[in-house]
Amino acid sequence: MSAVTDIRDYPWTTLLAAILPARLTALLPKRFQAAPSQIVPSASIAGNALTVVIAIMTFLACLTAGGVYMINQSAQAWVDDIASEITVELDPINAPDIEKKMTLVSLFLAKQRGITRVKPLTADDSAKLLEPWLGSTAALSALPIPRLIAVEIDRSSPPDIELIKTALTQNFEGVTLDDHRRWQAEIRSITRSAALGGIAVLGLVAAATIAAIISATRSAMASNREIIEVLHFVGANERFISGEFERHFLGLGVRAGLMGAIAAAVAFLLLPFAMYLLGGGVVTEAETRRLLGSGELDIGGYLLCAVVVVVVAGLCMITSRLGVFRVLKSYA
Amino acid sequence: MIRFDNVGLRYGSGPEILRDVTFHVLPGSFHFLTGPSGAGKTSLLRLLFMSLRPTRGLIFVFGENVADLPRNGRAALRRRIGIVFQDFRLLDHLTTWENVALPLRVMGRRESDYAEDVTDLLRWVGLGDRINAYPEILSGGEKQRAAIARAVIGRPELLLADEPTGNVDPAIGNRLLRLFVELNRLGTSVIIATHDYALMDQLEAPRLMLLDGQLQVSTP
Repeated sequence: MSAVTDIRDYPWTTLLAAILPARLTALLPKRFQAAPSQIVPSASIAGNALTVVIAIMTFLACLTAGGVYMINQSAQAWVDDIASEITVELDPINAPDIEKKMTLVSLFLAKQRGITRVKPLTADDSAKLLEPWLGSTAALSALPIPRLIAVEIDRSSPPDIELIKTALTQNFEGVTLDDHRRWQAEIRSITRSAALGGIAVLGLVAAATIAAIISATRSAMASNREIIEVLHFVGANERFISGEFERHFLGLGVRAGLMGAIAAAVAFLLLPFAMYLLGGGVVTEAETRRLLGSGELDIGGYLLCAVVVVVVAGLCMITSRLGVFRVLKSYA
Repeated sequence: MIRFDNVGLRYGSGPEILRDVTFHVLPGSFHFLTGPSGAGKTSLLRLLFMSLRPTRGLIFVFGENVADLPRNGRAALRRRIGIVFQDFRLLDHLTTWENVALPLRVMGRRESDYAEDVTDLLRWVGLGDRINAYPEILSGGEKQRAAIARAVIGRPELLLADEPTGNVDPAIGNRLLRLFVELNRLGTSVIIATHDYALMDQLEAPRLMLLDGQLQVSTP
């Protein structure tokens, strides 16, 4: 068995030559350049239009994946937040001494195992919670606003919520406990909807990319038919021929994918500035943060964009391979 | 090595180009394939090379029934055959050297293993100073020699050549014939399709004569 004596014999140098533009490859040291000329010339494969289309598809895929990721992160933070708290509500009607009842219920809750903090909200605090809907009006003080007790629970050893609920009902009249399950379920439902929407968009982007690659593969095969015939004559099998084409499409996919992903990363970085430029102020920023958490992509989000690039490049390669096999079958 | 049994060929619904063609090519043999223009020489070569399927009859190449072979099986057999086309079929974006090295590259051999062989062969066919030239600047004769070099570089077991001396002067033609004879001595079976009786007269080899789609074998 002959040993590899020349660095040009390594397949990755050929791949490097496929990924980098020809002008850039020419600047590399000679040992890093693929030795033989390309059997299927790059120029005959696809023009800049396909690169731009795939870059745009990758950009959209990264924006979608990053957006869904941010919403998911934010929703998870909400769920974690509200899952560590329960709210006890005291009906003010038929409760002549509501402050005393607040104290008694708070003391009762504080004694329960698994509860780390009990915070009774004042009447003003409760009224403030209604201000977004009713406005800041003096009439609020005249309304029988339910009194609330915020209870933090120990998530490592949570209390038996059902037991506390039963005990509260038995010992205190007009006291109810909300463990926020309905909200958690709704947040999860929103997150799932966003994820499904994102998957649908990614599916459409993938389908459009596949269609573009299939079309480009067919036209590349048609314009290189003479080369394919010669390769057949010299004994090349279908795998070799498809390899000559898929290498180009892999390189194209990596180049275009990186362009799209970098553009998406820049878009995520500029998102907060874009809001200011569009006239958004502190309130817009706060609302965005409420929806998207920090409004910035973390390292996990950027890794997701990198995965999108790998998937796009793989999609280009596999689609072109299958396209070549299909066309070769039709030639046969 | 090659066996044709009652092979017939027609294109579409046209008349039969080849009718009841039956012959054997033994290992190490040398044949001329001749006949008037349009007699079906190129079609017969294409059948030998498995780039056409017969409309009837059986073809065995290296003992394999071509009809039963999968596509990649045919590719494996083609690696054992060298072919020279009348229209050369050189790739214009590759240099002469790269065109000649193509069969070895397709076989997966390393450039460092075959570089010297390719250069030596190009020198032998008189293209030593055209190694880095692209086909579009080569003359017809030079292209012919490059195509022949490409066909023989992989030491094929069977060499098929369609009018290999049609574009070269007699001196180069004789030199190329010597190359074919030398290959034949080394064990390669050779079939040369030609109109050139002067070329055929230089060698005592059986002639496969195509007339009206039928094959007659004559021995000088």
